[in-house]
Amino acid sequence: MEVLLQVLIGGVLLGGLYALVAFGLSLIYGVVRILNFAHGTLLAVSGVLASLAFSSWQMSPLLIAALLAALIFFCAYGYYHLLLRPLARRSHFEATVGTVLVTVGTLMILSDLTAVAAGATQRNIPLRLEALELGEIVVSTTQLLILLGIAVLTAVMHLILKHTWFGRAVRGVTQDPLGAEICGVQSTRLKALTFAFGSATVAIAAVLYVLSFPVDPYMGFGLTVKAFTIIVVGGVGNLPGALLAGVFLGVAEGLTGLYWKPEWAPALSVILMLLILVAYPKGVGAKS
Amino acid sequence: MNKSMNAGIGWVVGAVVLAALASLPFLGNAYFTTIAFTVLIAYILGQSWDWVAGEMGYVNLGHYCFYGIGAYAFAILLVGQWPFWLAICFAVAFTALAALLISVPLFRLHGDYFAFATLALLPLMEVLAYNLTPITNGSDGIVLPVAQVLQPAYLIALGVCVVTFMVTLRINASRFGYALKSIRNDEQVAETVGVRIAPVKRRVLVLSAAFGAVAGAVQAWQMSYIDPASVFGLNVALVPVAMVLFAGSGLRWGPLVGVLLLASLQQWLLVSVKGFQATLYGLIVLLIGRFMPGGFLRAQWVQQVPWVRSLAREHHEYMRKADPKGSTTAQARELPLSRPQNLGAAPLIELEHVRMQFGGNVAVNDVSLRIQPGEIVGLIGPNGSGKTTLFNCISRVYAPTAGRVLFAGQDLKDCSRDQIARLGVGRTYQIPRPFGDLTVLENIAIPLMFSAQPLSPHDAMREAQAFVEYAELGHRQLERADKLSVQEKKALEFARALACKPRLLLVDEVASGLTPAEVQRFVEHIRHVRDRYGVTVIWVEHIFSALEKVVDRVIALEQGTLIADGPLAEVVQNERVLSTYLGSSAPPSPKAGVQKC
Repeated sequence: MEVLLQVLIGGVLLGGLYALVAFGLSLIYGVVRILNFAHGTLLAVSGVLASLAFSSWQMSPLLIAALLAALIFFCAYGYYHLLLRPLARRSHFEATVGTVLVTVGTLMILSDLTAVAAGATQRNIPLRLEALELGEIVVSTTQLLILLGIAVLTAVMHLILKHTWFGRAVRGVTQDPLGAEICGVQSTRLKALTFAFGSATVAIAAVLYVLSFPVDPYMGFGLTVKAFTIIVVGGVGNLPGALLAGVFLGVAEGLTGLYWKPEWAPALSVILMLLILVAYPKGVGAKS
Repeated sequence: MNKSMNAGIGWVVGAVVLAALASLPFLGNAYFTTIAFTVLIAYILGQSWDWVAGEMGYVNLGHYCFYGIGAYAFAILLVGQWPFWLAICFAVAFTALAALLISVPLFRLHGDYFAFATLALLPLMEVLAYNLTPITNGSDGIVLPVAQVLQPAYLIALGVCVVTFMVTLRINASRFGYALKSIRNDEQVAETVGVRIAPVKRRVLVLSAAFGAVAGAVQAWQMSYIDPASVFGLNVALVPVAMVLFAGSGLRWGPLVGVLLLASLQQWLLVSVKGFQATLYGLIVLLIGRFMPGGFLRAQWVQQVPWVRSLAREHHEYMRKADPKGSTTAQARELPLSRPQNLGAAPLIELEHVRMQFGGNVAVNDVSLRIQPGEIVGLIGPNGSGKTTLFNCISRVYAPTAGRVLFAGQDLKDCSRDQIARLGVGRTYQIPRPFGDLTVLENIAIPLMFSAQPLSPHDAMREAQAFVEYAELGHRQLERADKLSVQEKKALEFARALACKPRLLLVDEVASGLTPAEVQRFVEHIRHVRDRYGVTVIWVEHIFSALEKVVDRVIALEQGTLIADGPLAEVVQNERVLSTYLGSSAPPSPKAGVQKC
């Protein structure tokens, strides 16, 4: 029973982190209409960087998160303008294969460079706070803090989407790009901003992630697949949907590990995604 | 004469190159033979990928899965003491079967979703290969019981390469190839001109998987060892794709040129650079994606370079020009359509209480009508009144929520779009939807290839010429359809619908936005196909002056409901038509040619 509860808590935690990753990807897909295959790898790389920063300079995880988010925001902004924007002018087929190749190439470069620079080993931030005991159940304070972090980040994103100019523009373009453009949304600038914003959220998710799970340079693509599964289930641009789907996936993976074999957990999301795509070819959240 | 000489030179050059390649393993340099072998394998993979991507427009990022499944199946059988040929055949058959199964869910998806789902197959396969330890030996991989098979492996790969190239040529000269090309351009239109797309998509994926499996099996044999990362790894999987895109996907020589150049570069890098291999691959993949996703052979400068230019030709540029005889201007108004002697008295198309509902929005509400063979019926009504939706219900682009559609007494309920096209329903689209990257002639030839009496591409091209002349597009017949002006596209749509050899022609606002002279031409065409070939026509149009000249009666729709049915002069006097559509208190005279305001 205790093990099950621990697995459930771990699953919710992991699922919440998946949801954060998925949400960045979903924002980007909704506005820029590209599948960023390097999205999960960004978490892996940011996680390695965060762990290095912690072990080298004993920086506070909060500070690391802020610095990483700023760094990745600017890098992603430049990356979009330099590598992705020019592809939008091409024919549909060329734009599709072009973005696939660019983002997959980025994925390979990021993984390899990180592995060469920091080693292909698993890393985390070994920050352990005193555990909390609620009767039989032991809850680690770190886990609680991460949950809090996820909740705060989700709430902030929700507020940004609902109540700022940027958020309204994002929602408008996601629903109807042409209509939003006619109403005065500068789509190129918005696309670059969204790409940068979505990528920056991954940096924060990465710091939360390394606080309780190990990262390595090659884990990224698996995360991208999970994030995409979550988008398909939760709907593009749908924050509560992503959170629910993420928690579902996290718990399902935990239970697979508990009742069967943990090495099958990575296959779960792919199979789930294929099944869902078969039942709902345009995504569960999409209106037919 | 010149052309056949060129072809002759081509064959001779091809034979010499092949002979040289075949003798390579006997020259004693194992290093060069190994490099050439990897190039051959890359070509098989790249070209078989391009049948799905370049020809059909589906970006299958998981093509490498088939390579891996083939390699594993072959390795497992060989370890199990199967004879070589039996093992390879069985591995290919097994992979083809796997492709057939996976095609069911995959082809429910389009565009980005298809690309992503196929890419996600790679990690799935990798997990399977790692975890099904009793079968695959897990991360230890499989050691094959062979040694020193470079020579035979090379010769087999060369043979398969030649076959791959031949299959590519065959595809592009066949009806199957045109089905792929029509799917690439517009699946829905492909169906409404008679192409049965589902089996075509399945078949091409299975074919491409089979060739991928051969490549995997032969390479596993040559390397005598496989493990999950080397056959399902993400960084190896996209290299053949990048190679094809580098030179030009969908071109005859594109995959070959791309593979030759990049595989050579890859070998050079492997030898001369230590470390950062994956970064370099990634950089190559990234740069190709950023700067030449359409292929460098399609760039402007290539046209200036004499030898390279001939490598950059699109497939259709190789199609032999159709025989010009039989298309003189005197015969231009003669179409190869049958002339029915007796149209019969039974209604050709009958709608019974047809209703089409999207959520809470009722687009067509309980419409019943019958149209006799040989009638020309105008369909009028304000924008959004359900005219196009009614067409879509007939050609089964939508399945009606309720009611029956009978064509020549046959219920269309269980018919697919392509069957309806073959039964004899041709249609145009309000916004023209030609197959953009095909020529005008090919656009018209495709319905002729997939009609009830299918023609070979060669015959279809010849017969299409009559339709091209009829639409007065003769001077542009070899140009790409997306280069045409709007009027020309409309003329092309009309001709393509006629090439479906329809008994019922659904014409959707073909005259709007045209000059009076052009409108007049369409009016004459519509009358001509009815008078001469007995084609029944339903014409959606707002231009009353045009309708008036040719229709036997008009039907008016308003918010999905049929509100009037009768001769034009009567319908325009109808009070509901006046108040909802024409919007005038003074009864307009049909003779004055009232247009919709």
